[in-house]
Amino acid sequence: MAIVQVSKVRKVYRRDTQEITVLDGMDLEVPEGEFVALMGPSGSGKTTLLNLIAGIDRPTSGSVQVAGTDLATLSEGALARWRSRNVGFIFQFYNLIPVLTALENVELPLLLERLSRRERRKRALTALEVVGLSDRAQHYPRQLSGGQEQRVAIARAVVSDPKVLVADEPTGDLDARSAEEILTLMETLNREFRKTIVMVTHDPRAAERAHVKRHLDKGVLRAD
Amino acid sequence: MRFLPLVLKHLRRSWIRSLSTVMALALCIFLFCTLQTFLAAVDASLASANAARLVTRNKVSLVFNLPQSYEDRIAALPGVKRVARVNWFGGARRAGDFSEFFPNLAVEAEPYLEMYPELTITPEERRAFIEDMRGCIIGPDTATRFGWKVGDTFQLESFIPPYRVGRPFEFVISAIYKPDEARYPGTDRTAMYFHHRYLYETTGRRIGVGTYAIEVDNPDAAGTVSRAVDTLFANSDAETHTETEQAFRASFVSMAGNLALLLNTIGMAVTFTILLVTANTMSMAVRERRTEMGVLKTIGFSSGRVMGLVLSEAAVIGACGGLFGLLLSQGLIRVLPHLPVIGPFVQGLSGFGLSPFLAVSGLGLALFIALVAGLVPGLLAYRARITDLLRQV
Repeated sequence: MAIVQVSKVRKVYRRDTQEITVLDGMDLEVPEGEFVALMGPSGSGKTTLLNLIAGIDRPTSGSVQVAGTDLATLSEGALARWRSRNVGFIFQFYNLIPVLTALENVELPLLLERLSRRERRKRALTALEVVGLSDRAQHYPRQLSGGQEQRVAIARAVVSDPKVLVADEPTGDLDARSAEEILTLMETLNREFRKTIVMVTHDPRAAERAHVKRHLDKGVLRAD
Repeated sequence: MRFLPLVLKHLRRSWIRSLSTVMALALCIFLFCTLQTFLAAVDASLASANAARLVTRNKVSLVFNLPQSYEDRIAALPGVKRVARVNWFGGARRAGDFSEFFPNLAVEAEPYLEMYPELTITPEERRAFIEDMRGCIIGPDTATRFGWKVGDTFQLESFIPPYRVGRPFEFVISAIYKPDEARYPGTDRTAMYFHHRYLYETTGRRIGVGTYAIEVDNPDAAGTVSRAVDTLFANSDAETHTETEQAFRASFVSMAGNLALLLNTIGMAVTFTILLVTANTMSMAVRERRTEMGVLKTIGFSSGRVMGLVLSEAAVIGACGGLFGLLLSQGLIRVLPHLPVIGPFVQGLSGFGLSPFLAVSGLGLALFIALVAGLVPGLLAYRARITDLLRQV
């Protein structure tokens, strides 16, 4: 069963009087538990598609259904709540909050839940254990390496136990060894924790870790 | 409350900027509370003036006295009920040391006490005061301040040359008056009154009269009586200027009307400037964190919640600035009466102190400024699309 279903999606950006079509009638289905890599040249619409799946952008036309919810039917507030429960986002540049410790960064999505401080801490520590950084809980992002920062970001993405993880070039800012560690971790999350992962990448080695590779070109999916 | 640590951590990120914004707000609230306290005290002092009382002084300046002979001539005018001599003594416990200064006046006791029922004393105390040439009555705040009680003696020495006789004046406390705040709000609680006769005799009968306090039969006729007094002494060596007690006090406190306008204008200008400074600071803080706001929205923070975080930061800055400003203001208000030059004047203002209403207003103003300053950056954070915020990476 498809946990992500993208049907006839168009996304058009308007710059002054010019219209730029980024996605043109896109169809995509991602079965639950799948690890999909989206590849393609810059400007092909990979990140736009990822943003639509994550519910942080809306299509110009067509529908995006994720985890049984048609995202077009949700108001801005409901969409924000939906994101907090159903999607974990992993950024290329980690995007940790610099004034918060690793533990506090991971705890951030849990602030939106009705949980006691103790429960939040417990869950955040568990997430850090999953990514192998429980000993760095009190470290600030500036005290961590790039690979460690990305692992904290992954812990933040999984802490609220979302069904889908979306990753926008998660190894794009890492050296080869750290990239390997991150990809191994994502594989583990997919295999052991049954997380559906949609990953945008330029890196063929990263794409090799996915079950399925899809190529985008000029806003349409190319047949493999 | 669960977001408060997040708000505080963000404020600590650029702590110098946060601190300087807090200080700017504190300065604003300090000025607001101090100036308004001063104006409120001046207003209370003016409000305590009685419409049936007039004050006659030398037309040239208060510095110059009037002849003793004027008293009987004023008293003979139609509409005048009583007249009393009054001289500002300017005495201090140690000559030239104004740190322990309190207002002290030589008054013609019997008519003066009749004119000023707000100086409430018992008939026995009144008799004791009138019968003792060195007797005096003092305000309750001054008695408390120096631990004085009825029967105690103390000395004062004036800084005004004609009243300097080579030795201090000695006084005996005949009574401590009890101001009736309900009937006579704003009554001075610090003043001391002694016999004009004592001053006159001790200085060798050479001094004139500083002012004449006049009570009229009918307050509505105050203008007519004032003109009559001044007309009586027109073209004399010592022409007079007669006005209501309220007008006299207003002129005495440096034309209080203009003072209020001046102080309020200064306060408004400072408040507006601080508003702009705070708004700019808040905008900078939000602009620097566009990506972080994008991240917060991505992980599920609603736009309203992100705006709430921005406004909460503004509110914390406002509360800290407001509290610090109140502390500064309270500190200065406590110190001001003990300062040279301005201290004696401030002591003459009854009820000079930071009122709870003003303190709450000051804190409210600080929060208002901070929230208004945070509104535009908060709205920008609210309206910004996640993809635009994340594009800053």
